[in-house]
Amino acid sequence: MNCLEFRRRLGSEPASALDAFVTHRQECPHCAAAQSRADEFETRIRRAVEVPAPFNLADRILLAQTTEMRHDQRGRRRGVVVIALAAAASIVVAFIALRQPEQAMPALAGLVIEHLNEHVVSATDMESPVPKQAVMDAFAARGVSLASVPDGVNYVHKCPAGPYATVHMVMPESSGAVSVVYVADKPTMQRVDFRHDGMRGREVPLGKGSLIMFAAAAGDFDAIESGWRAALEQGVAGNDPVLPGLSGLPASREPFSGPVFRRALVAAP
Amino acid sequence: MKTVYPPMDSRQHQFEALVRGHSTDLYRYAYWLCGQDALAQDLVQDTFLRAWRALDKLREVSAVKAWLITILRREHARLFERKAMPSDDIDDLDLPDPQAAPERRTEESALRQAIATLEPKYREPLLLQVLGGFTCAEIAGQLGLGEAAVMTQLFRARQKLKGQLGNEEQAAEISEL
Repeated sequence: MNCLEFRRRLGSEPASALDAFVTHRQECPHCAAAQSRADEFETRIRRAVEVPAPFNLADRILLAQTTEMRHDQRGRRRGVVVIALAAAASIVVAFIALRQPEQAMPALAGLVIEHLNEHVVSATDMESPVPKQAVMDAFAARGVSLASVPDGVNYVHKCPAGPYATVHMVMPESSGAVSVVYVADKPTMQRVDFRHDGMRGREVPLGKGSLIMFAAAAGDFDAIESGWRAALEQGVAGNDPVLPGLSGLPASREPFSGPVFRRALVAAP
Repeated sequence: MKTVYPPMDSRQHQFEALVRGHSTDLYRYAYWLCGQDALAQDLVQDTFLRAWRALDKLREVSAVKAWLITILRREHARLFERKAMPSDDIDDLDLPDPQAAPERRTEESALRQAIATLEPKYREPLLLQVLGGFTCAEIAGQLGLGEAAVMTQLFRARQKLKGQLGNEEQAAEISEL
Protein backbone atom coordinates (compact mmCIF):
# COMPACT_ATOMS: atom_id res chain seq x y z
CA MET A 1 0.00 0.00 0.00
CA ASN A 2 1.36 3.44 -0.91
CA CYS A 3 0.58 6.79 0.70
CA LEU A 4 -2.24 7.58 -1.73
CA GLU A 5 -3.98 4.27 -1.08
CA PHE A 6 -3.44 4.69 2.65
CA ARG A 7 -5.00 8.16 2.71
CA ARG A 8 -7.98 6.98 0.66
CA ARG A 9 -8.57 4.14 3.08
CA LEU A 10 -8.02 6.49 6.01
CA GLY A 11 -10.70 8.86 4.71
CA SER A 12 -13.25 6.09 4.34
CA GLU A 13 -12.34 3.58 7.03
CA PRO A 14 -9.99 5.10 9.64
CA ALA A 15 -10.22 2.05 11.91
CA SER A 16 -9.35 -0.36 9.12
CA ALA A 17 -7.55 -3.48 10.30
CA LEU A 18 -6.25 -4.41 6.86
CA ASP A 19 -2.69 -5.73 7.15
CA ALA A 20 -1.41 -3.48 4.39
CA PHE A 21 -2.99 -0.45 6.05
CA VAL A 22 -1.47 -1.23 9.44
CA THR A 23 1.94 -2.00 7.95
CA HIS A 24 2.04 1.24 5.97
CA ARG A 25 1.19 3.27 9.05
CA GLN A 26 4.07 1.70 10.93
CA GLU A 27 6.48 2.48 8.12
CA CYS A 28 5.41 6.03 7.12
CA PRO A 29 5.58 8.78 9.79
CA HIS A 30 3.57 11.26 7.66
CA CYS A 31 0.73 8.82 7.27
CA ALA A 32 0.95 7.89 10.97
CA ALA A 33 0.52 11.59 11.80
CA ALA A 34 -2.45 11.78 9.44
CA GLN A 35 -3.93 8.75 11.21
CA SER A 36 -3.60 10.54 14.57
CA ARG A 37 -5.52 13.55 13.24
CA ALA A 38 -8.13 11.26 11.72
CA ASP A 39 -8.54 9.39 15.01
CA GLU A 40 -9.17 12.65 16.83
CA PHE A 41 -11.86 13.59 14.32
CA GLU A 42 -13.41 10.12 14.64
CA THR A 43 -13.68 10.59 18.38
CA ARG A 44 -15.55 13.83 17.79
CA ILE A 45 -17.91 12.17 15.31
CA ARG A 46 -18.56 9.32 17.73
CA ARG A 47 -19.37 11.72 20.57
CA ALA A 48 -21.74 13.63 18.30
CA VAL A 49 -23.72 10.63 17.03
CA GLU A 50 -24.00 9.00 20.44
CA VAL A 51 -27.12 10.91 21.41
CA PRO A 52 -28.42 10.06 24.89
CA ALA A 53 -30.87 7.18 24.83
CA PRO A 54 -33.87 7.04 27.20
CA PHE A 55 -32.62 5.42 30.40
CA ASN A 56 -35.43 2.86 30.66
CA LEU A 57 -35.73 2.02 26.98
CA ALA A 58 -34.70 -1.63 27.36
CA ASP A 59 -37.17 -2.17 30.22
CA ARG A 60 -40.01 -0.70 28.19
CA ILE A 61 -39.18 -2.91 25.21
CA LEU A 62 -39.11 -5.99 27.43
CA LEU A 63 -42.42 -5.00 28.99
CA ALA A 64 -43.97 -4.64 25.53
CA GLN A 65 -42.57 -8.01 24.49
CA THR A 66 -43.84 -9.86 27.56
CA THR A 67 -47.24 -8.19 27.14
CA GLU A 68 -47.38 -9.33 23.52
CA MET A 69 -46.27 -12.82 24.52
CA ARG A 70 -49.03 -13.09 27.10
CA HIS A 71 -51.53 -11.80 24.56
CA ASP A 72 -50.42 -14.48 22.08
CA GLN A 73 -50.71 -17.19 24.73
CA ARG A 74 -54.20 -16.04 25.58
CA GLY A 75 -55.05 -16.14 21.88
CA ARG A 76 -53.90 -19.77 21.61
CA ARG A 77 -56.07 -20.77 24.53
CA ARG A 78 -59.11 -19.10 22.98
CA GLY A 79 -61.88 -21.61 22.42
CA VAL A 80 -60.76 -23.80 25.29
CA VAL A 81 -61.75 -21.46 28.07
CA VAL A 82 -65.46 -21.02 28.59
CA ILE A 83 -66.99 -17.60 28.17
CA ALA A 84 -67.67 -17.16 31.86
CA LEU A 85 -64.05 -17.81 32.77
CA ALA A 86 -62.88 -15.47 30.02
CA ALA A 87 -65.15 -12.75 31.35
CA ALA A 88 -63.85 -13.31 34.87
CA ALA A 89 -60.26 -13.19 33.63
CA SER A 90 -60.99 -9.95 31.79
CA ILE A 91 -62.30 -8.42 34.97
CA VAL A 92 -59.14 -9.47 36.82
CA VAL A 93 -56.91 -8.15 34.04
CA ALA A 94 -58.86 -4.91 33.94
CA PHE A 95 -58.60 -4.61 37.71
CA ILE A 96 -54.85 -5.20 37.61
CA ALA A 97 -54.49 -2.70 34.77
CA LEU A 98 -56.45 -0.12 36.70
CA ARG A 99 -54.30 -0.69 39.78
CA GLN A 100 -51.01 -0.41 37.91
CA PRO A 101 -48.80 2.44 39.08
CA GLU A 102 -48.06 5.27 36.67
CA GLN A 103 -45.36 4.46 34.16
CA ALA A 104 -43.01 6.37 31.93
CA MET A 105 -44.64 8.15 29.03
CA PRO A 106 -45.10 5.68 26.16
CA ALA A 107 -43.49 6.52 22.83
CA LEU A 108 -46.79 6.99 20.99
CA ALA A 109 -48.03 9.41 23.64
CA GLY A 110 -44.72 11.24 23.24
CA LEU A 111 -45.45 11.80 19.56
CA VAL A 112 -48.93 13.04 20.36
CA ILE A 113 -47.64 15.45 23.00
CA GLU A 114 -45.04 16.78 20.58
CA HIS A 115 -47.97 17.53 18.27
CA LEU A 116 -49.99 19.15 21.08
CA ASN A 117 -47.05 21.40 21.89
CA GLU A 118 -46.98 22.60 18.30
CA HIS A 119 -50.73 22.76 17.70
CA VAL A 120 -52.05 25.50 19.94
CA VAL A 121 -55.84 25.52 20.24
CA SER A 122 -57.09 28.93 21.24
CA ALA A 123 -59.97 29.46 23.63
CA THR A 124 -62.06 31.01 20.86
CA ASP A 125 -61.74 27.81 18.84
CA MET A 126 -63.38 25.77 21.57
CA GLU A 127 -66.02 28.03 23.06
CA SER A 128 -68.91 25.71 22.31
CA PRO A 129 -69.46 22.05 21.39
CA VAL A 130 -68.84 21.19 17.78
CA PRO A 131 -71.64 19.35 15.89
CA LYS A 132 -71.46 15.62 16.46
CA GLN A 133 -71.56 15.10 12.71
CA ALA A 134 -68.26 17.02 12.43
CA VAL A 135 -66.69 14.59 14.90
CA MET A 136 -68.07 11.61 12.99
CA ASP A 137 -66.78 13.07 9.73
CA ALA A 138 -63.29 13.55 11.18
CA PHE A 139 -63.20 9.92 12.32
CA ALA A 140 -64.67 8.74 9.00
CA ALA A 141 -61.83 10.54 7.22
CA ARG A 142 -59.47 8.38 9.29
CA GLY A 143 -61.38 5.25 8.27
CA VAL A 144 -63.18 4.86 11.61
CA SER A 145 -66.95 4.48 12.02
CA LEU A 146 -68.28 5.73 15.33
CA ALA A 147 -71.32 4.15 16.96
CA SER A 148 -71.88 7.37 18.87
CA VAL A 149 -70.22 10.64 19.78
CA PRO A 150 -69.65 11.48 23.44
CA ASP A 151 -70.93 14.85 24.61
CA GLY A 152 -68.65 17.78 25.13
CA VAL A 153 -66.26 17.78 22.18
CA ASN A 154 -65.56 21.49 21.75
CA TYR A 155 -62.80 21.18 19.17
CA VAL A 156 -62.03 18.61 16.50
CA HIS A 157 -59.34 18.53 13.84
CA LYS A 158 -57.62 15.90 11.72
CA CYS A 159 -53.95 16.12 12.62
CA PRO A 160 -50.74 14.16 12.11
CA ALA A 161 -48.70 13.00 15.10
CA GLY A 162 -45.34 11.94 13.79
CA PRO A 163 -46.19 9.56 10.95
CA TYR A 164 -49.62 8.66 12.31
CA ALA A 165 -53.08 9.93 11.38
CA THR A 166 -55.05 11.23 14.33
CA VAL A 167 -58.24 13.00 15.32
CA HIS A 168 -57.35 15.76 17.76
CA MET A 169 -60.12 16.91 20.08
CA VAL A 170 -60.48 19.10 23.15
CA MET A 171 -63.08 18.30 25.79
CA PRO A 172 -63.46 21.01 28.43
CA GLU A 173 -64.38 19.24 31.64
CA SER A 174 -65.12 20.19 35.22
CA SER A 175 -61.45 19.81 36.21
CA GLY A 176 -60.06 21.62 33.16
CA ALA A 177 -59.62 21.08 29.43
CA VAL A 178 -58.61 17.58 28.33
CA SER A 179 -56.78 17.03 25.05
CA VAL A 180 -58.13 13.83 23.54
CA VAL A 181 -56.33 12.39 20.55
CA TYR A 182 -57.35 9.23 18.74
CA VAL A 183 -54.50 7.64 16.76
CA ALA A 184 -56.46 5.68 14.20
CA ASP A 185 -53.79 3.44 12.74
CA LYS A 186 -51.52 2.64 15.67
CA PRO A 187 -52.86 0.28 18.32
CA THR A 188 -50.99 0.50 21.57
CA MET A 189 -50.05 -2.52 23.66
CA GLN A 190 -51.64 -1.68 26.97
CA ARG A 191 -53.43 0.94 29.05
CA VAL A 192 -50.89 3.25 30.68
CA ASP A 193 -51.19 6.26 32.98
CA PHE A 194 -48.23 8.61 32.92
CA ARG A 195 -46.98 12.04 33.94
CA HIS A 196 -45.15 14.51 31.73
CA ASP A 197 -44.06 18.06 32.55
CA GLY A 198 -46.37 18.18 35.55
CA MET A 199 -49.31 17.07 33.40
CA ARG A 200 -51.24 13.79 33.55
CA GLY A 201 -51.76 11.48 30.63
CA ARG A 202 -53.35 8.19 29.72
CA GLU A 203 -52.86 5.97 26.68
CA VAL A 204 -55.55 3.37 26.03
CA PRO A 205 -55.91 0.74 23.29
CA LEU A 206 -59.34 1.36 21.76
CA GLY A 207 -60.83 -0.13 18.61
CA LYS A 208 -58.07 -0.52 16.06
CA GLY A 209 -56.13 2.44 17.40
CA SER A 210 -55.16 4.24 20.58
CA LEU A 211 -56.84 6.98 22.60
CA ILE A 212 -54.52 9.41 24.34
CA MET A 213 -55.72 11.89 26.95
CA PHE A 214 -53.59 14.69 28.33
CA ALA A 215 -54.60 17.27 30.92
CA ALA A 216 -53.61 19.07 34.08
CA ALA A 217 -55.68 16.60 36.12
CA ALA A 218 -56.74 13.01 35.49
CA GLY A 219 -60.12 13.26 37.24
CA ASP A 220 -62.17 13.07 34.04
CA PHE A 221 -60.12 10.43 32.24
CA ASP A 222 -62.29 7.47 33.33
CA ALA A 223 -65.50 9.07 32.11
CA ILE A 224 -63.95 10.20 28.84
CA GLU A 225 -62.41 6.77 28.26
CA SER A 226 -65.74 5.09 28.93
CA GLY A 227 -67.51 7.39 26.46
CA TRP A 228 -65.00 6.77 23.71
CA ARG A 229 -64.94 3.05 24.42
CA ALA A 230 -68.68 3.00 23.77
CA ALA A 231 -68.23 5.06 20.63
CA LEU A 232 -65.39 3.03 19.19
CA GLU A 233 -65.98 -0.54 20.31
CA GLN A 234 -69.75 -1.03 20.19
CA GLY A 235 -70.09 -1.02 16.42
CA VAL A 236 -72.63 1.07 14.51
CA ALA A 237 -75.58 1.48 16.82
CA GLY A 238 -78.88 2.00 15.05
CA ASN A 239 -80.34 5.32 14.08
CA ASP A 240 -79.23 7.52 16.92
CA PRO A 241 -75.53 8.17 16.67
CA VAL A 242 -75.50 10.43 19.70
CA LEU A 243 -74.97 9.21 23.25
CA PRO A 244 -77.41 10.71 25.72
CA GLY A 245 -74.54 11.76 27.98
CA LEU A 246 -71.60 10.24 29.77
CA SER A 247 -71.92 8.93 33.25
CA GLY A 248 -70.61 11.48 35.69
CA LEU A 249 -70.42 14.26 33.13
CA PRO A 250 -72.83 17.14 32.74
CA ALA A 251 -75.18 16.69 29.77
CA SER A 252 -74.81 20.32 28.77
CA ARG A 253 -71.76 22.48 29.23
CA GLU A 254 -71.05 26.11 29.66
CA PRO A 255 -69.00 27.70 26.89
CA PHE A 256 -65.32 27.38 27.74
CA SER A 257 -63.92 30.71 28.73
CA GLY A 258 -60.33 29.90 29.68
CA PRO A 259 -57.19 31.39 28.22
CA VAL A 260 -55.33 29.95 25.24
CA PHE A 261 -55.27 26.19 25.76
CA ARG A 262 -51.54 25.51 26.00
CA ARG A 263 -51.05 28.43 28.32
CA ALA A 264 -53.80 27.09 30.53
CA LEU A 265 -52.12 23.69 30.58
CA VAL A 266 -48.70 25.07 31.34
CA ALA A 267 -49.99 27.29 34.11
CA ALA A 268 -51.97 24.53 35.76
CA PRO A 269 -50.51 22.92 38.89
CA MET B 1 -30.50 -6.90 48.09
CA LYS B 2 -30.20 -9.17 45.11
CA THR B 3 -33.15 -9.07 42.73
CA VAL B 4 -34.73 -12.47 42.15
CA TYR B 5 -36.10 -12.94 38.67
CA PRO B 6 -38.60 -15.64 37.79
CA PRO B 7 -37.16 -18.53 35.77
CA MET B 8 -37.00 -17.78 32.08
CA ASP B 9 -36.45 -20.04 29.13
CA SER B 10 -33.32 -19.68 27.06
CA ARG B 11 -35.18 -17.91 24.26
CA GLN B 12 -36.34 -15.25 26.66
CA HIS B 13 -32.82 -14.97 28.10
CA GLN B 14 -31.39 -14.58 24.63
CA PHE B 15 -33.92 -11.90 23.76
CA GLU B 16 -33.33 -9.96 26.96
CA ALA B 17 -29.59 -10.01 26.29
CA LEU B 18 -30.25 -8.67 22.79
CA VAL B 19 -32.41 -5.85 24.08
CA ARG B 20 -30.03 -4.84 26.86
CA GLY B 21 -26.99 -5.14 24.60
CA HIS B 22 -28.26 -3.34 21.51
CA SER B 23 -31.22 -1.08 22.31
CA THR B 24 -29.04 1.98 22.91
CA ASP B 25 -27.17 1.74 19.62
CA LEU B 26 -30.37 0.92 17.76
CA TYR B 27 -32.08 3.93 19.32
CA ARG B 28 -29.22 6.18 18.23
CA TYR B 29 -29.31 4.80 14.72
CA ALA B 30 -33.10 5.19 14.59
CA TYR B 31 -32.84 8.71 15.93
CA TRP B 32 -30.49 9.72 13.15
CA LEU B 33 -32.71 7.99 10.58
CA CYS B 34 -35.93 9.75 11.57
CA GLY B 35 -34.81 12.72 13.66
CA GLN B 36 -37.49 12.36 16.34
CA ASP B 37 -36.98 10.96 19.82
CA ALA B 38 -40.45 9.46 20.25
CA LEU B 39 -40.55 7.99 16.77
CA ALA B 40 -37.08 6.54 17.23
CA GLN B 41 -38.24 4.81 20.43
CA ASP B 42 -41.26 3.49 18.57
CA LEU B 43 -39.08 2.17 15.76
CA VAL B 44 -36.72 0.44 18.16
CA GLN B 45 -39.61 -1.17 20.04
CA ASP B 46 -41.21 -2.39 16.80
CA THR B 47 -37.82 -3.69 15.67
CA PHE B 48 -37.33 -5.75 18.80
CA LEU B 49 -40.89 -7.08 18.74
CA ARG B 50 -40.33 -8.22 15.17
CA ALA B 51 -36.98 -9.69 16.21
CA TRP B 52 -38.67 -11.59 19.04
CA ARG B 53 -41.16 -13.15 16.64
CA ALA B 54 -38.33 -14.12 14.24
CA LEU B 55 -35.73 -15.06 16.85
CA ASP B 56 -35.71 -18.69 15.75
CA LYS B 57 -34.48 -17.57 12.33
CA LEU B 58 -31.33 -16.05 13.82
CA ARG B 59 -28.65 -18.56 12.94
CA GLU B 60 -25.46 -16.57 13.42
CA VAL B 61 -25.25 -14.88 16.81
CA SER B 62 -22.18 -12.88 15.76
CA ALA B 63 -24.27 -11.18 13.06
CA VAL B 64 -27.04 -10.16 15.41
CA LYS B 65 -26.37 -6.44 15.24
CA ALA B 66 -26.48 -6.45 11.44
CA TRP B 67 -29.70 -8.48 11.66
CA LEU B 68 -31.32 -5.97 14.02
CA ILE B 69 -30.18 -3.02 11.91
CA THR B 70 -31.69 -4.69 8.84
CA ILE B 71 -35.01 -5.11 10.65
CA LEU B 72 -34.92 -1.51 11.83
CA ARG B 73 -34.17 -0.17 8.36
CA ARG B 74 -37.10 -2.20 6.97
CA GLU B 75 -39.41 -0.95 9.74
CA HIS B 76 -38.35 2.60 8.97
CA ALA B 77 -38.83 2.14 5.23
CA ARG B 78 -42.24 0.52 5.79
CA LEU B 79 -43.33 3.37 8.01
CA PHE B 80 -42.20 6.05 5.64
CA GLU B 81 -43.51 4.32 2.52
CA ARG B 82 -46.89 4.21 4.19
CA LYS B 83 -46.78 7.74 5.49
CA ALA B 84 -44.74 9.41 2.74
CA MET B 85 -42.92 11.61 5.21
CA PRO B 86 -39.58 13.32 4.67
CA SER B 87 -36.80 11.31 6.24
CA ASP B 88 -33.97 13.75 5.90
CA ASP B 89 -35.19 16.69 7.97
CA ILE B 90 -33.70 16.46 11.41
CA ASP B 91 -34.80 19.61 13.16
CA ASP B 92 -34.58 18.80 16.81
CA LEU B 93 -30.96 18.33 17.66
CA ASP B 94 -30.85 20.04 20.99
CA LEU B 95 -29.43 17.10 22.89
CA PRO B 96 -26.75 18.40 25.19
CA ASP B 97 -24.84 15.93 27.28
CA PRO B 98 -25.07 17.34 30.80
CA GLN B 99 -21.71 15.75 31.64
CA ALA B 100 -19.86 17.55 28.89
CA ALA B 101 -18.00 20.82 29.29
CA PRO B 102 -19.68 23.86 27.61
CA GLU B 103 -17.06 24.15 24.86
CA ARG B 104 -17.44 20.48 24.01
CA ARG B 105 -21.22 20.84 23.94
CA THR B 106 -20.92 23.65 21.41
CA GLU B 107 -18.55 21.60 19.28
CA GLU B 108 -20.80 18.54 19.44
CA SER B 109 -23.83 20.62 18.61
CA ALA B 110 -22.10 22.01 15.51
CA LEU B 111 -21.05 18.54 14.46
CA ARG B 112 -24.54 17.17 15.04
CA GLN B 113 -25.98 19.90 12.86
CA ALA B 114 -23.41 19.09 10.19
CA ILE B 115 -24.26 15.38 10.33
CA ALA B 116 -27.97 16.19 10.20
CA THR B 117 -27.51 18.19 7.02
CA LEU B 118 -25.61 15.43 5.26
CA GLU B 119 -27.57 13.79 2.50
CA PRO B 120 -28.92 10.40 3.64
CA LYS B 121 -26.68 8.60 1.15
CA TYR B 122 -23.66 9.96 3.05
CA ARG B 123 -25.13 9.96 6.54
CA GLU B 124 -26.37 6.38 6.60
CA PRO B 125 -23.09 4.58 5.82
CA LEU B 126 -21.32 6.88 8.25
CA LEU B 127 -23.76 5.94 11.02
CA LEU B 128 -23.44 2.26 10.22
CA GLN B 129 -19.68 2.58 10.51
CA VAL B 130 -19.51 4.76 13.61
CA LEU B 131 -22.44 3.35 15.59
CA GLY B 132 -22.55 -0.15 14.18
CA GLY B 133 -18.82 -0.70 13.86
CA PHE B 134 -19.33 -2.28 10.46
CA THR B 135 -16.60 -2.54 7.83
CA CYS B 136 -17.06 -1.07 4.37
CA ALA B 137 -17.81 -4.54 3.01
CA GLU B 138 -20.49 -5.12 5.67
CA ILE B 139 -22.05 -1.71 5.03
CA ALA B 140 -22.08 -2.50 1.33
CA GLY B 141 -24.01 -5.67 2.14
CA GLN B 142 -26.48 -3.80 4.35
CA LEU B 143 -27.17 -1.08 1.80
CA GLY B 144 -27.02 -3.26 -1.30
CA LEU B 145 -24.17 -1.26 -2.77
CA GLY B 146 -20.67 -2.07 -3.99
CA GLU B 147 -17.81 -1.74 -1.52
CA ALA B 148 -16.10 0.89 -3.66
CA ALA B 149 -19.26 3.01 -3.71
CA VAL B 150 -19.51 2.79 0.08
CA MET B 151 -15.87 3.81 0.48
CA THR B 152 -16.48 6.83 -1.75
CA GLN B 153 -19.58 7.83 0.21
CA LEU B 154 -17.76 7.52 3.53
CA PHE B 155 -14.80 9.51 2.22
CA ARG B 156 -17.11 12.27 0.96
CA ALA B 157 -19.17 12.24 4.15
CA ARG B 158 -16.06 13.05 6.20
CA GLN B 159 -14.91 15.66 3.70
CA LYS B 160 -18.28 17.37 3.87
CA LEU B 161 -18.29 17.33 7.67
CA LYS B 162 -14.82 18.80 7.84
CA GLY B 163 -15.76 21.37 5.23
CA GLN B 164 -18.86 22.40 7.16
CA LEU B 165 -16.93 22.65 10.40
CA GLY B 166 -14.38 24.93 8.79
CA ASN B 167 -11.62 22.38 8.77
CA GLU B 168 -10.87 23.25 5.19
CA GLU B 169 -7.22 22.49 5.76
CA GLN B 170 -7.89 18.89 6.72
CA ALA B 171 -10.40 18.45 3.94
CA ALA B 172 -7.92 19.84 1.43
CA GLU B 173 -5.23 17.56 2.74
CA ILE B 174 -7.34 14.56 1.86
CA SER B 175 -8.66 15.82 -1.44
CA GLU B 176 -5.19 16.74 -2.72
CA LEU B 177 -4.13 13.10 -2.59
